Amino acid sequence: MIKRLFNPFLYVAGSKSLLIGLAIMLATTAVSYFSHIHFPDPISVKVAIGFPLWVYLVQNLANWLVVSVLFYIAALVLSKSSVRAIDIFGTQALARAPYLIASFTGFTGVLETFGKFLLWITTNTGNPVEITGAQILFAVLLLILTMVLTVWLVALMFNAFKVSSNLKGAKLIVSFIVILLISIGIMLKITFMIVPHSTPLI
Amino acid sequence: MEKKLPILCPSCGSDLQVQSLKCCDCDTTITGQYDLPVLLKLDAKDQEFVLDFVKSSGSLKLMASRLGLSYPTVRNMLDDLISTIEKLQSDDQKTL
Repeated sequence: MIKRLFNPFLYVAGSKSLLIGLAIMLATTAVSYFSHIHFPDPISVKVAIGFPLWVYLVQNLANWLVVSVLFYIAALVLSKSSVRAIDIFGTQALARAPYLIASFTGFTGVLETFGKFLLWITTNTGNPVEITGAQILFAVLLLILTMVLTVWLVALMFNAFKVSSNLKGAKLIVSFIVILLISIGIMLKITFMIVPHSTPLI
Repeated sequence: MEKKLPILCPSCGSDLQVQSLKCCDCDTTITGQYDLPVLLKLDAKDQEFVLDFVKSSGSLKLMASRLGLSYPTVRNMLDDLISTIEKLQSDDQKTL
């Protein structure tokens, strides 16, 4: 069970995982549009209000495409196996499944309130915010859940890259970390371009 | 009980060789010194993979569907097996 949760790519890859992954990304886009959760880079979850639907869609698709293209190039250069693009893109698409769950965390509104509260007490930005102890506790629990989902996402991305590239050892670990960092940089640039005046709260 | 063919000496870890072959019908025994073929030096799991691969007509897609695994997983198993066979062959050439 644990193996299937963290490495489903032993059993599902290629076009099947691509179709499931694309469906999940579209569902994530729809849910996050209404819950005001957005993903400015491949592993970040933030709250922001007022973005048009296309921003959520572009972010979700770009988060998947940027890492997939970089992983594919790395696999072609470093792997001795015959790597298929459909496996890299398909498994990376399915790896984004945990963020469908993360996109639901915004519906409570607690994260938004907690974010405004933090901004107000740390930087005196915005208006004074009233927040109860229960709301703070709930917000912290949601943040912990988000962190767990992020760990799950990274584990899935790693295993997806491992299975689809057949890289091992230092080559696998170093290339994964470098590509993840590069893709975070690229995605933050893209997010800055499509949301120039964004002020994410959490 | 299924007996496992030993391929390494339990004492020193060197490759084992075949010394005698026996016909169970007429009790004829042939003795000599024969190297084990590379395929017999593979472990049982790898030998099973080779059999499955041949029975699937060399189709990794068919094999993946029969084993309930994804295509890249089976391809990775094949690539690892190729590496193992290449290593065994290069070890054999070194001992010649």
